[in-house]
Amino acid sequence: MKAAAKSANKPGSRRLSRNRAAYAYLCPWIIGFTCFTLFPILFMFYTSLTNRKLNGLSEFIGFTNYVNMFKSETFLNSLKVTILFSVCMVIVDTVWAIVLALLLNQKRKGNGFFQFFYFLPTVIPSVAISYAFRTIFGKDAGLLNSMLSALLGRTVSVNWLYDSGTVYPAVFFVTLFTYGTGQMMLIYRSALGDVPKELYEAYDMDGGNAFGKFFHVTLPMISPIVLFNTLNGAISALNGLFGILYPLTGESGNPNGMTQVLSLLVYKEAFSNLKVGYACALSVVLFLLAALFGAVIFRASKNTVHYEY
Amino acid sequence: MADAKSKKIAGMIGFTLIKAVIAVVMFLPIIWILTGGFKTVAEFTTSGSVLPQNPTLENFEYIFYHSNLLGYTRNTVILMLGTTIGTLLSSALVAYPLARMEFRGKKLVFSIIVATMLIPNIALIIPQYIMFGKIGWLDSLLPMIVPSWFAYPYNVFMMRQFFRTIPRELDEAAEIDGCSSLGILFRILVPISRPTFVTIGVLSCVFWWNELTQPVFYINSDTWRTLTIALMTSFMYTSSNTFVISWPTIMAAATLMILPPMLLYLFGSKYLIGGIKTGGLKG
Repeated sequence: MKAAAKSANKPGSRRLSRNRAAYAYLCPWIIGFTCFTLFPILFMFYTSLTNRKLNGLSEFIGFTNYVNMFKSETFLNSLKVTILFSVCMVIVDTVWAIVLALLLNQKRKGNGFFQFFYFLPTVIPSVAISYAFRTIFGKDAGLLNSMLSALLGRTVSVNWLYDSGTVYPAVFFVTLFTYGTGQMMLIYRSALGDVPKELYEAYDMDGGNAFGKFFHVTLPMISPIVLFNTLNGAISALNGLFGILYPLTGESGNPNGMTQVLSLLVYKEAFSNLKVGYACALSVVLFLLAALFGAVIFRASKNTVHYEY
Repeated sequence: MADAKSKKIAGMIGFTLIKAVIAVVMFLPIIWILTGGFKTVAEFTTSGSVLPQNPTLENFEYIFYHSNLLGYTRNTVILMLGTTIGTLLSSALVAYPLARMEFRGKKLVFSIIVATMLIPNIALIIPQYIMFGKIGWLDSLLPMIVPSWFAYPYNVFMMRQFFRTIPRELDEAAEIDGCSSLGILFRILVPISRPTFVTIGVLSCVFWWNELTQPVFYINSDTWRTLTIALMTSFMYTSSNTFVISWPTIMAAATLMILPPMLLYLFGSKYLIGGIKTGGLKG
């Protein structure tokens, strides 16, 4: 209100030119938003109602794609897998990032040295990490099997990425090496450094232990940052998993579609099955899922997050 | 007293040990890639040891003399620089009025920017693919470079947050001295925000050097392949009519690929930590 009163005092022409100047600066975003976001969204909804093929032939078919989608085993499985990754994987990655940040937060020499080793593997291309792990987790000459064989004194030949019992732990482990996880570690480390020392001292005086200190002082203080990063993590699980899983387990999400997240299915339907209209219907689901995650996390944050920061 | 001290020392050794073990585990894939490039195909597919038994340079020779490595690297560098310069410039322009000006619809614009940060890229890639196909941009780097020149919501958000920490008195002083609004942006705000710009620049470079998803969708021909797709498609050989992946060659190529982002991080690490901090202006 105060701002409104202030600008009302200014001459009208000045206000108009202020608006004009502001929108001149916003031009790149306005063009970009319209052409590369808004139009594709509308076009996606429209195309999802057609049977468009990759060669461009298209015919309006109403909601047939959506009906077929919810009848398809492949899609329902993919939806389940996507939600599993967006929840479980994000939790695993967040806990890992916080643990690393806590380890580095101890006032010790050599933290910079360790941070170097923790962060560096996350800046290299995901396709390189995926290919490294395809062979590390390989059945015949994999590093993990040969290490376990040497350790246990018998031949271990588990096909880690193709065995339905081991594929999830193996893939989740690979995601610890993603950019997002490394980023989270840095952000949490910085957030931990910002927690006022007096709070810890007060807690120490009340005779609290390390775990209590974490749950009663540290976690409430860093919760806005945890919220922001969990949200980011869930969205980037929808988005960034393609870059890890496509080279790791392929477009069909081996074994048996257990790792076929929606982004892989979109790619497969559009480029292997040439069904672009159907791929758009899948994209609509991805889009709505992202909106849902955003809404859920913001709603949940209202009660749990401490904003006095 | 002495007991408490020895307990503390034991705790310290314990912590350091845990940290060291995690460091080894985290570095394992990098070591595996670095040594893998020196193995022969036969060794790679039969032995699971880390160190190569008969180190060979043939994988690197193959990459340098028989693959289009130079072309892939050129494409990746064009992509990386084209997108990063574009996003730095356009995001700064867009962040400026959001941080400094009062105008009608500001709240709406800002809400849309925050909301679009949440849209996963992959959800819009099929309609964008059709769109770029219509204007003949497929199988080139344009679908990735051009949108970067029209501001990325995330970078706009980051820059706006930093601009807001800069005291307004600096702008006002410059305005009195006759500085235009564009001058304020590029002579006052941008130089002070250097850590944020370096951070966003390094992050953007590393992102595009590593990006696989968009090139996989948009690029078809060998001419425009980036290193990431090349790693997936260019190092196969035919053996009894089936395609076999030549793992040691891939590891050799990956070795060359993982070095630049690691170096960029080392160069930017001072800024990266500082830039991520939510803190304000010092000094």
